This record gives sequence, structure tokens and C-alpha cells, in this order.
Amino acid sequence: MSASPQGGNGSGQGREVSRYIRVDLHEVDGDGEIRVEGHAPASPHLRGPDGGVRAGALLTMLDNVGGLCGGLAALPDGWVVSTNLSARTVALEHVGPMRIDARVLRQGRSSVLTAVQIHDEGAHDVLVVDGVLTSAILVPENGPPQWSRPLVLDAGEPPPEPVPGIPEWLGATPIDASTIEMTLAESLRNPWGILHGGAVASFVDLAAGHVTGGITTDVVLHFLAPNRIGPVRAVARPIGSRADGTVLRVEVRDHGADRVTALAVVTVRSAQ
Amino acid sequence: MAAAYPPDRHLLRDLRLEFEHGDDSTSRAQMPVVPELCADDGSVRAGALATLVDVIGGGLAATAAQPDWIATADLTLHVVGAATTGSVTADARVVHAGRTTVVIEVELHDHTDREIGLATMSFARLPRREENPDIRASMSAGPSTMALPTSHLDAPLVDMLGARVVDAARGELEVPVGEWSLNSLGAMQGGAVAIVIDAAAEAAIRAATSERLVVTDLQVTYLALGRVGPIRTRVDVLGASAGQARARVELVDAGSQSRVTTLARVVATSSLRASP
Repeated sequence: MSASPQGGNGSGQGREVSRYIRVDLHEVDGDGEIRVEGHAPASPHLRGPDGGVRAGALLTMLDNVGGLCGGLAALPDGWVVSTNLSARTVALEHVGPMRIDARVLRQGRSSVLTAVQIHDEGAHDVLVVDGVLTSAILVPENGPPQWSRPLVLDAGEPPPEPVPGIPEWLGATPIDASTIEMTLAESLRNPWGILHGGAVASFVDLAAGHVTGGITTDVVLHFLAPNRIGPVRAVARPIGSRADGTVLRVEVRDHGADRVTALAVVTVRSAQ
Repeated sequence: MAAAYPPDRHLLRDLRLEFEHGDDSTSRAQMPVVPELCADDGSVRAGALATLVDVIGGGLAATAAQPDWIATADLTLHVVGAATTGSVTADARVVHAGRTTVVIEVELHDHTDREIGLATMSFARLPRREENPDIRASMSAGPSTMALPTSHLDAPLVDMLGARVVDAARGELEVPVGEWSLNSLGAMQGGAVAIVIDAAAEAAIRAATSERLVVTDLQVTYLALGRVGPIRTRVDVLGASAGQARARVELVDAGSQSRVTTLARVVATSSLRASP
């Protein structure tokens, strides 16, 4: 639930997540195909204890650029909300900047699929993330956003220093051995007033790390319902371990609305 | 008059699945473990488990979407334990049934009730068309099966599909779209697609790593139906380290202008038989 029909000037509600992640993006001439390319630094505030960019931040980049690409495909009649994403992390050490490439795989009447790959331009363009974002097409109450094409959208003003790390940015706190909680801060909402999909992905990443102490490598995330009220809680349950790490089921609930809002399956590699 | 679906010799019968449908939001299926379902480590292949998931998840989603119909958008499977004997039980439940999508979660257990995997499926909700089957009879409460007394697998699943290895190192297989694996729309059934992905990824990953890794995760994105065939596969091994590897698999329908029908992201690990 993150692709944002915000104004193209890099300001306004819903832009705080983009400002924090620092994604600049632009539409690419795709020979008749809709493509969007984004760039983001591997900023210190996005890095985890192992030194690499956290999976949650990478997924936010994926959601941001893939969602915009899907949204452009849905114009002029509609816009999109993310319904699910799946991504595998191939490289865990990052130099940056990251290049995020999104292209439309399939567009139907009710949904758009975008393939998104993230490469590390500072590390010989190595593939970092390979993923797919699925978005549902809807017609916003005030109509779809009006963009100048080809679209160029910068990350906006940088956030004030010192920039908090992701746990502090989300306000995530542990409740018990398997549960973390966050309040639904205004800065984390998208233009529809609900928790940004990238923030949900980062919260899921933190929940898996809270239970295992490891590093998230793969995520399948289904957005089931909006988080509107809060606090939001994530409960992570390990289902088993293998050579590549531990697999967990993570359920996100809008505690204030008493409903499940997201379901994820996450693979976490043990910290070295 | 159209022939009955599925025909007497069909994947959905020969797996000898047994169903126990609950209310409109839960369903259970059991699949007997036979050698033809297993990889060379003696455990049930991820592709076979994905077929079980596809069948039970698709039926439950179609029930949840009534009177509308559904199209499978994606299937994900994470395997954490080896099923080697007895049967595998799949417990499916609806986690979301909205205006545009249905999401199903499926837990997998072995015959000792140990959790061996977790799967999700999502479906696009579509207006019902005349040719869409009425599944109400097959999803009625109580036990049921599609198996006939003669139903069985003659050979390993990938051989039953008629797959031919073109280039193992590149993960290139060629698979006909045959009657045995058709879905009700006349295209290769989603579980059969997962079996092909499993086999192609395993071949390429083993060639790249020289390790006897087995497929443990599938993230399958269905883009188009494979109606004509042959279906051809191509695999890129994205990365590998001791005991694990990742790959991307692409399927095209060679008889339909080589249209891309499916993309998948795959993880293979050392055999789960050694896992606790």
C-alpha cells in the first residue's frame, strides 16, 4: 500500500518515506514498455548491524520504484496499491549507490505485475535483489495523479541530521520474545493515511531479526488490509531451519483495528 | 459434448489426493508419499508439494470468490522438513478475500504432524464466465477424492510430464502440454508448472555447484497460460555458497510465439533429511 499519487515536487504527505530512503527516480524510454529507474545511496542509516543495507530498506526501494512503475501503467484511469511482493537477496554486502530497475511484466484490468531488480553500482553492478511486485488497480477518490511525462521524481530534501536508524525511525519496540510494536506516526503514512508499504516491509524485517538475531535474505509479503489506527504489532514464528537459515512466518496486526493487515514468510541467515 | 474433466488418467487423479473440506474458509488435503514424488534424497520434491498446495489452495480460493471466478497470480512455498514416508497433509485457510484478490495460506505437515513447510497463494478475482467450472459439488463438506481405483504414478513426476532435458547445465527442459497435466482451461496446470521449475532449477544448480542440492523454496509468478507447448525453461543461477544456491527460472510457450508464461525465483539447499 505504498505507491504514492503525491505531487511531483517531492513534498507533501506520503513523501517522508521516500525522503528517508533517498530514492530519486525517473521514467526510462522502454521502447513502448513502461520502465522506471531509481537510484538510492547505501546510506549509513539504512544499514544493519552486519554493515549491509537492511532487507527492509531494500524492499522499500523495491516497493517505491516498482509501485510507481505499476502506477504509470495504470494511468490514465487508475492508480495502484501494492498487494504483494516477493524478493530474494543475492548479495548481502553493499557499497552503493543502488540502482533500482522496474519494468511491467503483465498488466490486466485489475492488477499490474512489475519485475524489480536492485544492482549495486558501487560493487561492479552486482545483483542485490531480484523481486516481483504485484499491485491492484483502483480509482482514487480524487482521481489518479497528474504527472508530467516522462516522469522525474527526486527524493526531496534530505531528512535532518542525525538521521535515525530504521528501528528508531519506525519507533519499533519489543513486546515479548516474538513480538514487536510500533505506533502509527504521521510521517509513516502514505497519501491515503495508512502505513506505507515500505514501512510494513521494514517492520516485518525487524520482527524476523528480533526473534532470530539474523539477517533477512528473502521475503514474501502479502498486504491484506490497511494499517490505519495502530499500534501495529508483528509476531514472528520460526517454522524451521535449513542450510541457508531460519524460515519464519510473520503476521502483522493493526492492534487498534483488531485485524490482520499483512502476512509474510521470511528467511533469515544467521549473523556471522 | 465436452469430455469430463479431469480425464481418467490425469495428474490430479494419479496423485491420489484425499480432501476434507471444512467451512468456506478452510480445507485439508492429504497426499500419499510414493517414490515417484521424491527427489534422489528420498524426500518429496518441492514441485510435488507445490502441486498439492495449488490444488487445495485453488479450490478454496474459488469457493471464497464465489460467485466470481479466480486466476492464480502467484504461489510461494518454503520447505523446512523432509517428507519421506506416510503422507503429507496440507491445511489451507483463507487469509484474505477482498474485492480484487484472494490470499490463501497453506501449512504442510508430515505423517508425524511435524511442520515441514509453509505456502501462500494469491489470486485475482474475475467476473465469472460461462466456461468456468462450478466447483460447489467438488468442494462440498466431508471427505472426497478424485482418484479412481486404478489411479497411480507410473514414473517420476517429471517423466510423467514428458520432460526432455535439452541442456542440463543451462536448466533447459522441453515439456509438452499434454492431457495428463491440463487444467480446466486447457493449459498446463499450475502445479505441473511448479514441477517443471523444480526440475529445471535442480539441474542447473547441480551443474553450477557440483553439490546434490534440492529445491526448498519456490516463488512462482504466473504471467500467462501455457496452452500450446512445448514449454521451454531457462535458468540463471544467481548465486551459490556451501549448501545453498539461488536461481531465476523463466518458462516460455514455444508454440505461442515463445511468450513468457511463468517466472520463478528458487532456493536450493542441502538435503533436509539431515535437518532436525
